[in-house]
Amino acid sequence: MRVRTVLLALAVPVTVLLAVGLGSVPLAPGAVWRGLIDAGAPSAVIVRDLRLPRVLLAFLVGGGLGISGAALQALVRNPLADPYLLGLSGGAGLGAVAAIAFRAGSPWAVPIAAFVGAVGAVALVYRLAVVSGRRLDPRVLLLAGVVVGAFAAAVMSAIIVLSDAPTLRNALLWLLGGFGGASWQALGIFALYAVIPVALLFRSARSLDLLALGEETAEYLGADAERTKRLVYVTTSLLTAASVATCGIIGFVGLVVPHGCRLAWSPLHRRLLPATFVTGGVFLVLADTLARSVLPPLELPVGVVTALVGVPLFAILLRRTLA
Amino acid sequence: MILSARSLTVRYPGAPRQALDGVTFDAVPGQLLAITGPNGSGKTTLLRALMGLIRPESGTALVGDRTVETWGREALARVVGVVPQREETVFPLRVREMVMLGRYARLGPVAAAGAADREAVARALARCDATELADRRVDELSGGEWQRVRVARAIAQEPRVLILDEPTASLDVRHEMELFELVRELVDDGLTGIVITHELNLAARFADRMLLLDQGRVVRAGTPVEVLDREVLGRVFRWPVAITTWNGTVPQVMPLRQSERGDSRTE
Amino acid sequence: MRWRDGPPNLRLFRARLRRPGDGRLRLPHRLLRPVLFLVLAVGACRPGPAASAGLRIADDAGDTVAVPAPARRVVSLIPATTEILFAIGAGGQLAGRTKWCDYPAEAARVPDVGDGMNPNLEAVLAARPDLVVLYRSGQNASAAERLRSLGIPAIQVRSDALADVPRLAQLLGRLTGHEHQADSVARTFERDLAAATVKPPAHPPGVFILVWDEPPMTVGAGSYLSELLARAGARNIFADLPASSGQISVEAAAVRDPDFVFTSNPLVPAFASRPEWQAVRAVRERRFLHGTGSEFSRPSPRAPAAIRRLTAELRSAGAE
Repeated sequence: MRVRTVLLALAVPVTVLLAVGLGSVPLAPGAVWRGLIDAGAPSAVIVRDLRLPRVLLAFLVGGGLGISGAALQALVRNPLADPYLLGLSGGAGLGAVAAIAFRAGSPWAVPIAAFVGAVGAVALVYRLAVVSGRRLDPRVLLLAGVVVGAFAAAVMSAIIVLSDAPTLRNALLWLLGGFGGASWQALGIFALYAVIPVALLFRSARSLDLLALGEETAEYLGADAERTKRLVYVTTSLLTAASVATCGIIGFVGLVVPHGCRLAWSPLHRRLLPATFVTGGVFLVLADTLARSVLPPLELPVGVVTALVGVPLFAILLRRTLA
Repeated sequence: MILSARSLTVRYPGAPRQALDGVTFDAVPGQLLAITGPNGSGKTTLLRALMGLIRPESGTALVGDRTVETWGREALARVVGVVPQREETVFPLRVREMVMLGRYARLGPVAAAGAADREAVARALARCDATELADRRVDELSGGEWQRVRVARAIAQEPRVLILDEPTASLDVRHEMELFELVRELVDDGLTGIVITHELNLAARFADRMLLLDQGRVVRAGTPVEVLDREVLGRVFRWPVAITTWNGTVPQVMPLRQSERGDSRTE
Repeated sequence: MRWRDGPPNLRLFRARLRRPGDGRLRLPHRLLRPVLFLVLAVGACRPGPAASAGLRIADDAGDTVAVPAPARRVVSLIPATTEILFAIGAGGQLAGRTKWCDYPAEAARVPDVGDGMNPNLEAVLAARPDLVVLYRSGQNASAAERLRSLGIPAIQVRSDALADVPRLAQLLGRLTGHEHQADSVARTFERDLAAATVKPPAHPPGVFILVWDEPPMTVGAGSYLSELLARAGARNIFADLPASSGQISVEAAAVRDPDFVFTSNPLVPAFASRPEWQAVRAVRERRFLHGTGSEFSRPSPRAPAAIRRLTAELRSAGAE
């Protein structure tokens, strides 16, 4: 386990350098290095203003999605839980499409609308899942998430059909996920925003261990199940909503990475959450790099790459867990 | 540490009748209290109410000299160790990690586990004769082993009160007896013990006092001899029984077969 | 084309009447008149294949379609062909158009049958067409099939490049009986096109064609916009795109350093204020080419005018 941890720690700088070095524009390693250290170098604009913030943002988003997935899986005691199960993707899609269909002017309109849509969907799901006695029931949560997500997706499709079809087809491309909109500004906003939710999740690690045994058992062992559930729900929703607003819907990170880390490290969240954060970050950076370098200058949507890579990975993980 | 109930009355929301009705008893250190009764008599509800998971309609549950509501979850878990009837193992841990969960109430969210915690875990495993299981995964254990590990976890909490809910369901004779012997030892060392069980005969042999519940009410309370009365049991369980004696003093319940009814053989 | 024995239903009817051992035809006298009337009425209702003189056209999807000529009720499901039909004088023969057919102004008077891609067949049929023109695509292939099986000639045509304009003009001219006008339109178009086409300069200005900003999308060398710009003396910086259109990254645009960004937005577009786009010099310096108007979105007889507009913009921008 020591070895794995060291390897993971090393993977971070290696991946970052690799990602900054590769892209739709071929740059020699020397040019990349010069771009990093010298503001006046010709490659500096690309390396510093475009690639570096993009790579760092992908890392943060990947980490956020990873730990959100891990925490949600503990919350609903279901290994198939994924940050988008709570109706988030439907709500975000609806927000984005609405912003485009009603021609909101600001350049930040789509991300903000996606965020609002995601949060709205999550609030609705929460409302549906709170049963009598104000307890949050995880089974109802999952069902409500599916239902709200499906409804939002249906409304989104209706809007697309009823309005300007070509523009909205492009809106769907945005939803498929991509870091094309990354900048130092976007990175700063996301990083600042994510600090508190991430810290709160890390702090809930032990409560999550207990919650995974069942709520009653968790309370007998000293956890405040209701408080933990609400905290996890709110923080993962906020993190995932911000991710969608930043870069569209990128699946499989929140589903596959926690599983792999449980196998490679431990299901105990004090180890799982940090490992998932770093692994999720590395995974998403690699996926984004692949999306940018496979068919230059074309970019594939990152969500497509994570699915293409994630599904076989998931299959392998499944076989190993069942073995 | 004394655990008490005073006129505890609980009604589940929307239920036609009360799940618990005026239950009063004391569980004291050095004594093993067995709570029995037919299915649906409110045994597990009593546990939940005692631990503050359910708000009573009236009456109080006391842990030590304070009502259970005044205890925080973590503080309560440092004092009362519960082995619940059921729990989930969606993400299986190693036995050592599972028992360490019992230390969480003492560690809190931030502090790292130290030597003292690891020793408490080792002692708990040794007490439950589960040391060789330490590195096994929890989903690879047999029923008896799994139960021992959960008891070890409760012991690792270093509680003053130990509560077990139906601990011998699905255990064979050997494991049943081992478990009850262990609980008896712990109680003799000074713990307050409560066992919720269907096993009237095991309760009679190991417990100091018994509580018989029926439809949420305490029908009989006292020593096994006082509680295990043929008529009362026949009425409560709605099945005719005979009471025999083991070793001259311990009452044992013998449910009668159809062909054996009407036989006036007793004692 | 004439059936030798009469319409199929009459043949069947006759077969039913033949009795074994009887070589002659026998009709029940009492039922003769009403039955005959019914048979003829049914036979007249079915729209059979073109019984009058018609053309057999091979359309751009490779199907051979028999079209009655001249077509008097054309439903044009492509805005470009609607324009062309009006240009060749066949506007009066239009029975239906798509909701995107916005030029010329007279097109508004033609009934709107909805979308051109995956068309609403009911709306198309309600216009009682004798020819339907669809855009060649996978989606429309089944629509064309359905229409043909209902007895309505439907052709799929390509309308992607400038070369399609005179070609379609001549095809539609034949189909609507306006050959002379169509030929003249085609000739005028080619002449205007040649006149508007600028000789490619030694260092043509690079243009980044941005068709969508979130995510950034551009078009490759085969596209119409790319062709317009080339004829206006500019160069599509993504002419090497491995697909006809696709998503690219800002950094690719930044490194190719276009002199202009082409956008269909009449003002400075919203994305220009986003921080990551400042890496592209042309965005920073607000050097935009505005291609507003539907003549930029499809090949049509107005293409030479579009090229001249672009040339003028390039010249005035270059002069600053």
